[in-house]
Amino acid sequence: MGDGERRVIFAVMRIMALHLIRDRGALAMAFVLPPIIFVIFAAIFSSTSGEELRLKVALGVGQQTELSGRLENALRAEPSLRFLSTTFLDQPAVMAQVENGQADVGLFVRGDLNSTDTAPAIVLVDPGKLMAGAILSGQVQRIVGLELPDLGLSRTAPAIEGLVGGFNPQQSARLAAAIKELASKTVDQEKQTGLVETTLIGAHGGSGATVTYYAGAVAILFLLFSAMQSAATLIEERNSGIVDRIAIGRSGTDVVVFGKFLFVAAQGIIQVALIFLVAALAYGLTVWDHLPLWSLTTVAAAITASGLGFAVAAICTSKQQAQTISTFVVLVCSAIGGSMVPRFMMPPWLQAVGWFTPNAWAIEAYHGVLWRGEGLEAIVSPLFRLTALGLIGLVVAIVVSRIRLRI
Amino acid sequence: MTHPGAALRIADLHTRYGERDVLRGLDVEVASGEIYGLLGPNGAGKTTLIRTICGRIKPFGGSIEIAGMANTERKALRQIGLVPQEIALYSHLTIHENLDVFGRLSGLSRKDTRDAIDWVSHAAHLDGRMDNRVEILSGGWKRRVNIAAAILHKPALLILDEPTVGVDVDARNGLHELIMELSRTGIGILLTTHDMEQAETLCATVGFLRNGVVAPQGHPRQLVEDMYHDYREIIVELRHTATPGQSSLLGGAGFEHSNGGMSWSKFEQPGKVATNRLAAELERSGMDVREIRLREPGLDSLFVHLTREADQWAMENAA
Repeated sequence: MGDGERRVIFAVMRIMALHLIRDRGALAMAFVLPPIIFVIFAAIFSSTSGEELRLKVALGVGQQTELSGRLENALRAEPSLRFLSTTFLDQPAVMAQVENGQADVGLFVRGDLNSTDTAPAIVLVDPGKLMAGAILSGQVQRIVGLELPDLGLSRTAPAIEGLVGGFNPQQSARLAAAIKELASKTVDQEKQTGLVETTLIGAHGGSGATVTYYAGAVAILFLLFSAMQSAATLIEERNSGIVDRIAIGRSGTDVVVFGKFLFVAAQGIIQVALIFLVAALAYGLTVWDHLPLWSLTTVAAAITASGLGFAVAAICTSKQQAQTISTFVVLVCSAIGGSMVPRFMMPPWLQAVGWFTPNAWAIEAYHGVLWRGEGLEAIVSPLFRLTALGLIGLVVAIVVSRIRLRI
Repeated sequence: MTHPGAALRIADLHTRYGERDVLRGLDVEVASGEIYGLLGPNGAGKTTLIRTICGRIKPFGGSIEIAGMANTERKALRQIGLVPQEIALYSHLTIHENLDVFGRLSGLSRKDTRDAIDWVSHAAHLDGRMDNRVEILSGGWKRRVNIAAAILHKPALLILDEPTVGVDVDARNGLHELIMELSRTGIGILLTTHDMEQAETLCATVGFLRNGVVAPQGHPRQLVEDMYHDYREIIVELRHTATPGQSSLLGGAGFEHSNGGMSWSKFEQPGKVATNRLAAELERSGMDVREIRLREPGLDSLFVHLTREADQWAMENAA
């Protein structure tokens, strides 16, 4: 490589560097967004294996005894679990808390803890959150082992005594035979004497819940992306003089922004319908049974995406700027709002932050309608938030577009 | 398409950006069927004036009437056809689709839009290309469609903001014909341009916007005659930039420079012009003269003169 080529290469690199330094959006995309996304994912995934994962648990105790009281106290003292303040008295009440999303997972302690016929503790799991069930199950066993060793021994001793019938020499021989016999019945014994058993809640399988979750999560993610992309046409039209031309027409720019808003919202509805259609055809997701509320949720989500898209487009001065900002906003909202990783896997502080994103509202509404079978009153809050955010975005877009015409 | 009264009448217009007065008592009148050339250096306020006419900027003094109606009324704004400097079209749509869209956006019914497209396609000579996408058209045809999209609703006033920027000579001549044909239909046309030849060719009246007012204004030839009478412009083109000594010599002889000191000009009465003697003098002082021309002053001469005056006025006011 000669001097000439080297000079050209350095000149090109200098141009690229100057471009990057002077384009604050590109600079943010290159150096600010990656650490932010890293922090979010690090927070999520470190919590799933560390101390930060704090599952929200609904606890039920069927029969109050001295032992169940000690178990409840030990569970509530466990820092890795967050229990609802109420202790429920029956299993359906605990299931209801899991089904309506108030708790990530449920634990019902039934009857006599010393019983060896049935597992005295039942972990009630939403099939969409199987991992939460496995984690709680392990935690309960660990807590019993550490805090209530007498419970473990008292549950084991009768079983051994029953098997060997005492501990004299003859019994030792019988114990060996019995152990040999037990070895061939490991599975059955496990079922009989297990401390904890797991029950899935809901009519569908685990994959159904996951598909429902991710259909909503992906739908809102792509709604936001495509709305931002489509709304950027407003910037093109402003820069090309089309808006100037339209502004002196019969209705001014307000109806132009509104017309575009409606189109992008309609486009979003079709987009979401396609995602759920694929989910229904490929994974048996039952949308049809919940069509009215699904439709309401979809319209609200599409309004949000469209409104946000046009607000960004109205505020930005160039298409490049809009693309940078929208990528930033959509990626961050999707990461913390649950479009990429379920929010229950996030540490509590991130879950709290995520609740301020449209992703969380849309996912919650879709999951409520399609998985938990909730009615309108249960999803009215996320629907209201989605619609209000979209309309606020629309108003911002109209007002900023008017102001821009006067600059 | 004739509208009663003037297509545009602006009286004592004042606008302001923040603390800065941009237009300071501007008066302009464009008659129906007239082409009015608005000239002025960059930053003189042409864009501000257009935006004010279109109702986008609220003046703090004066009045604007379009076809006899104050421009504060929306029906007055609907009498404007605006052709922005940029190609304000949907590039991925065909000419027909663009005209259809802009017809509907200007408030025409479906039938009126259809009729308007028929009329415009003939008027702008777009027949045969109506199904072409705008993105594949040449610059000249894009400019033609840009104008066509602004006249669908048969406005009383057509504002053309540098309508021939970036097109070749043939296309420019074609656009000139189109603009003149449109003026003959009775549309008043306000044309902004930096092309003095275009202004002289097309405009019955030109106005120089400088220091917030339009002055002088009148017929282009008349303005030049009023300024220069029977004077001729002597233009000296050098093959090099004049040295300080040569500059001082030329300046002392009444020449003013442009083009970085390679081009010099001054005005003289015909009897006093002796180009042979001038050439000899210049060569004696060491200048390599490429050309000495004698010509009638044109609008461009006036433009340069008025722009210098405006710059001087601005500097004095700033001081």
